[in-house]
Amino acid sequence: MTALDVRELLSDAAALYRDRPPAVAMLRECLERLEEPLKVGFAGTPGTGKSTLVSALAEWPTRALRDLDLFDTPALAEHVDATVRLVRHLEPDELAGARPAGGSAFARQSAVNSVLVLGRADEVGAGRIDALLTAKQLARRAWREDRNCAGFQGVIAVAGQLGYAGRALRDDEFEVLRALAAVSRAELERYLLSVDSFVDDQFPVRIPPESRKHLVSRFGLYGVRLAITLIRTGCESRMKLSAELVHRSGLGDLRDTLAGCFVARAEALKARTAVLRLENLLAADPRSQSDRLVARVERFAAAAHDFRELRLIADIRGGRTALSGEVAEEATRLLGVQGLAPTERLGLEPDSGPAEIHAGAESALVRWRHDAEREDAAHTERAAARVIVRSVEGLLSLFVA
Amino acid sequence: MTAPAWLDVLNETLDACAAHGRADLAERLRRRRDQQAPGTRIAVVGFPKQGKGYLLNALLNAPVCAVGDASTPAVPTEIGYAHDPAATLVGHARERVPVDDLAKELEVRPPGSLRRVEVGLPRELLGTGLVLVDTPAIGDPRSPRTAATLDVLADAHAVILVSDATQELQPAELALARHIRTWCPALVLALTKIDVSPDWRELAARNRAALSETGVVADVFPVSATVRQAAAKAGDAGLNGRSGFPELLNWVGEQAARPIERTRALAAAVSVRAAAVELVESLQARLNAVSQDSGIDQVTLLHQAQRRTEELRRQNVRWQNLLSDEITDLVSDAEYDLRERTRTIVRHIDRTFDEGDPAQIWPDFRTWLEENLADAVETNYNWVSDRSTWIAHAVATGFGARYGQAPELPLTGSGVDSIPEVGTPKIERFKIGQKLFTGLRGSYGGVLMFGLVTSLAGLPLINPVSLGAGVAFATKSVRDEGGMRLQRRQALAKAAAQRHVDDVFIRFSKEIKDEVRQVQRRLRDHFTALSDELAEELTRQRELIIAGSAERDRRTQQVKREIDRLAALHRKAGALGSGAAPRRELSA
Repeated sequence: MTALDVRELLSDAAALYRDRPPAVAMLRECLERLEEPLKVGFAGTPGTGKSTLVSALAEWPTRALRDLDLFDTPALAEHVDATVRLVRHLEPDELAGARPAGGSAFARQSAVNSVLVLGRADEVGAGRIDALLTAKQLARRAWREDRNCAGFQGVIAVAGQLGYAGRALRDDEFEVLRALAAVSRAELERYLLSVDSFVDDQFPVRIPPESRKHLVSRFGLYGVRLAITLIRTGCESRMKLSAELVHRSGLGDLRDTLAGCFVARAEALKARTAVLRLENLLAADPRSQSDRLVARVERFAAAAHDFRELRLIADIRGGRTALSGEVAEEATRLLGVQGLAPTERLGLEPDSGPAEIHAGAESALVRWRHDAEREDAAHTERAAARVIVRSVEGLLSLFVA
Repeated sequence: MTAPAWLDVLNETLDACAAHGRADLAERLRRRRDQQAPGTRIAVVGFPKQGKGYLLNALLNAPVCAVGDASTPAVPTEIGYAHDPAATLVGHARERVPVDDLAKELEVRPPGSLRRVEVGLPRELLGTGLVLVDTPAIGDPRSPRTAATLDVLADAHAVILVSDATQELQPAELALARHIRTWCPALVLALTKIDVSPDWRELAARNRAALSETGVVADVFPVSATVRQAAAKAGDAGLNGRSGFPELLNWVGEQAARPIERTRALAAAVSVRAAAVELVESLQARLNAVSQDSGIDQVTLLHQAQRRTEELRRQNVRWQNLLSDEITDLVSDAEYDLRERTRTIVRHIDRTFDEGDPAQIWPDFRTWLEENLADAVETNYNWVSDRSTWIAHAVATGFGARYGQAPELPLTGSGVDSIPEVGTPKIERFKIGQKLFTGLRGSYGGVLMFGLVTSLAGLPLINPVSLGAGVAFATKSVRDEGGMRLQRRQALAKAAAQRHVDDVFIRFSKEIKDEVRQVQRRLRDHFTALSDELAEELTRQRELIIAGSAERDRRTQQVKREIDRLAALHRKAGALGSGAAPRRELSA
């Protein structure tokens, strides 16, 4: 199933509903949206750091997020193709509220378009210096263990404010931080205790209170403390510190997840949105000839391999399969976690020739087909192996053409 | 010791709550009454991850409560005074564990096995009998944790609501504050984590405004457990001052210093006022419902009833006319129908016996006649019964769909079985002896006539010619006699059959008439009774409408008196708890 088929499907539907202008307009909008960048919505209760995160990502000059449109709190779910859902704490009540909604069979089967973010990860652990590490562990544990998190493509702890400040770290900010790091730990400690003491008049270093206020409002007290510690332990240049802060804040993780799960699969996700809207239309206003369109929608749902790959990647990474270690690594790579190009899937050098690719794909096919047919393996394991076999077969089909 | 003054007021309110079916309110008041706490109980409540544990640990300068990533225990922890630090897990049994191992012990307990945890600490603050209660985080309203926390609130004399300075008070938190302030004499908001919030001063101001907008009287204490901990480690009094804890501790001290009797009186007064307000609200709702009922004009209702009575009268005339007309028609039609049917039979009888010899066909004819007569009577009866049913429905329909139920009709069956047998007429057959005699008699004349004529020719009287004539004469007279006898028999049979048909007709036309009259009577009785019933109902309705307004007035008065009584209790409770902040007074 390709985007071309979806276009054809939408055009045929528009012909069927030509007597209803609103439906035609909707279908035309769907068609147009297939040409537009992927739309990602950020949802969550107020105070979870949505807008901070949106601005941190939207202004990021990174190739990975080039083809994305980010929306803060979309009004309607169907206005976006994928969702980043933010929560403040990984409390059961909050997680239960964040669970993606159900929908039709196809919507549920292809619900591979949301990522859960623990916003404000720097508040975890009462601002201890290892707070972000703890938050990452908590997020990982929740993804693996909490039933409410099973429907997400990832659970990521992000300190949005810190990541934003770190990514856009300015030279003057870095200079102030370096000046602070130069003061002895014992002397500085009591002034890093609270925001009040940090902007106190009796501050031991000659830095104007305004810059201190600016710094703490931009980085947060935790961020200031972390940045000083990082400078003391070796991040001596602005670039280094910036990279380290982005890495530690989890913003990098979020970017990679968005790139791997959303950007790389943009075509499939956009097609999904269009098909879902078409499905709703067909259910709300059935016509005598709409049966054939419904059947085509079902065929699309059955043939859409991208969703199965994404779902399996999430299951493998969330520890919900029997795969682990290197095997899991290879499986996710074949499923396209590092990119959809044949060389990326097979873990070959980018300049490998067709012969190498063919040989690599053949050997992978033999191994995974063996797994898919093992009698002693559990049903779910064999099903997983079958999905991977199908992905590898897709690689080999390139040669047939 | 005499019973305290608040006890009477509380008991009276409790009775009122129970009498008006508010068992929930009664239960709360009962707990206030029966509580035997030796000292003030202060509950620390809040939503998850607001820093309750840190706050309590900082208040006591001891790591008593679980903090950080570990989730708060699902049971309340009561912290009171003890000479030596000790912790007791209270479930089915009491189990003492070292205070330092408390968190570890709680983690391994299966959920639901504990009711609460009691911790004793040698702190001067707790010396007056003060008990601080750490509660499970409030969350999903249906979860057992939330229920446990609300349960603690029912016994608390004062409450510290914990909310952190990274976010304004949420609607759910404001609602909680309102609920607490309604039932508890004292509430403060502890604004935690001010160390990490650059703009906690604005936030505190906003929270104060939000609280007073909601109608909640509560001080706001901005605090930082981190700063307090650092101050304790460094022994720095100035830093401790900046943590905000001294003010909060002052407030706690004030609560603890008040004599317990006074505290209980205050709590009772507030609870009585809260219960009275809630009860009055539900009574007021009842009152509104009653007055909405009377919203429809009495006159309109009476008019409606009047109109319906007139309608009923017209209806009575209508259905009576309909019934008598239909029945008269039915009687004449039924008679005509039966006559028509019997006449057809009679015509057939005539035709039959014009030709047939009764002596030969009578048995067959008899069967035919009986069958046809029975058929005619049955058909006629069925037709009458169908029409009667139709009449019953037609009349019932006039009464409208609600009463359109036709009565059971007294139709007893056609009585076809009781038709008497057809009497066989006296049929004389022309026997062989009679034929012989008649033949002889006829032959006598012939023999004599021709014998005399031939004797002139010299032949004897008895000769072949005279004998031949004799035979011819005998044959003719026998045939003539036979014909006459046949006619007689036919006439007899016709007469017998017609008589029978006539009998049946007379008898059954009478029976059918009787039947129809029965039906008429039955229908008349039924619908007369129905219309009487309807008339009576309308009369009753009219009476009810007239009496209803009086009854409603009486009930309204009763509810209003009850509201007045509760308002008086509310005032009395206000006087008792004069230490509590003044609140709006109730009025009926």
